[in-house]
Amino acid sequence: MTDVARGSTPQVDKPVRAEARGQVPGDSSMWFFVIGDLLIFGGYFVGYMYYRGRNHELFLAGQAQLNLDIGTVNTIVLLTSSLFVALGTAAARVGNRAESLRRFWMALAFGAAFPILKLFEWIPEISRGLTPGKDLFFMYYYVMTGLHLCHVALGLVVICFIIRNVKESVAPKISFVETGATYWHMVDVLWLVLFALLYLMR
Amino acid sequence: MSGGETSWRTSRKLDQWIAFWSVPFFFTLFGLVFVPLSWMMPPRSPQNSTPHIVDFMQSHNLLIACVILTLAYGLAPVSNACYLIQVKRMSVSPAFRYSMMIGAVTGAIVGMLFPMFCFGLGAFRPGYSSAVLTMLYDFGYLAFIGSLGCFCVMWMAFGLAIILDENRILPKWLGYYTVWQYVTELMAAPVWIAKSGPFAWNGLMTFWFAMILYVSWQFLVYICIYRAIKNQLEAELDNAWADLRPTVAPAKSSA
Repeated sequence: MTDVARGSTPQVDKPVRAEARGQVPGDSSMWFFVIGDLLIFGGYFVGYMYYRGRNHELFLAGQAQLNLDIGTVNTIVLLTSSLFVALGTAAARVGNRAESLRRFWMALAFGAAFPILKLFEWIPEISRGLTPGKDLFFMYYYVMTGLHLCHVALGLVVICFIIRNVKESVAPKISFVETGATYWHMVDVLWLVLFALLYLMR
Repeated sequence: MSGGETSWRTSRKLDQWIAFWSVPFFFTLFGLVFVPLSWMMPPRSPQNSTPHIVDFMQSHNLLIACVILTLAYGLAPVSNACYLIQVKRMSVSPAFRYSMMIGAVTGAIVGMLFPMFCFGLGAFRPGYSSAVLTMLYDFGYLAFIGSLGCFCVMWMAFGLAIILDENRILPKWLGYYTVWQYVTELMAAPVWIAKSGPFAWNGLMTFWFAMILYVSWQFLVYICIYRAIKNQLEAELDNAWADLRPTVAPAKSSA
């Protein structure tokens, strides 16, 4: 997860944009992970759509019981966090460490709000009897949002490592920052699809 | 196989190659016993009728399969050894290696030995009541597919070790793939809740999807381990010190 570019860009003092280096931003193996992860979630999305088509009434009834307000707030929270990650990466690229650090702290704060809001969503639902065992819709709902939540948790750890990297190193590893940012944007994209499939689709 | 002009018997990596080739042997045996011999796999439905369950649990082939697998179970440590030798070369804390080792041990006990005892018991003594056989059937399949935590730790330790390693023993993308192995264990958690549909223990998402990820991972990790053993310098081998003796001894005797 560290820097693949280390060997390929020696003696570069001023920060160079990934496009200028002629490669994808961050570690190329992270792109392997991103594409694979999208395919895995894609498998879940296809499965969900297939069973939704077969049990349309059941899935609609389940969807109607979800908390759309918290879902919407969570979408905004995650998008805002992603924006700060993008801004923080841009600042790190031009060597503005103080600004970069401030933006990554903001990204972490917004990102950390997501699991907390999720608890406010899940706990009342579970206490109302909307558990994974209730029906197929709720099983899909908890499995998919649960897997996504694991990704968020991992992403928060990654952002902490980015902050440490930017804070402690005079010349932060831009490749590492980009790798983490790529991952966080993927988490964001997955949530957008989940939000559309689970909360919005009628 | 190990390259060079030396015969395979004098190869200094002979130990690793034996451990390595035990893996396909182990998995081929697994496949033959699980599928055509006993039809334990693909998993039977949790909603099978009681007469079906009783028939299955009392079949002789199932008993034979369980005996073979309980004997072959000893190959699991050998095949894990060839992974662990390579993990030892990585620039990461030994905690990863030990977690992986203990995760593999505990995971194999619950995920393999428990099901073998459950399925084997049914045919061992005729006359068990159908309720007992149904419970053993549930126990066997849940232990096999729903033994989550130990494998979670094992895959996570392996995946993180590959990702954090700076010696580049195994490719980074394999580390990320191994993290998905960890995810497949999470994916299987609903088998403890659902008794039918895509999340049951024979379901599309919990069994088939996880199986596709797992089988392709197993092939990839196998190829990567092969290359890692091949590329390992002889001076770097754990048993390198032992090979110094023969070169010293003849020199003394000839003097």
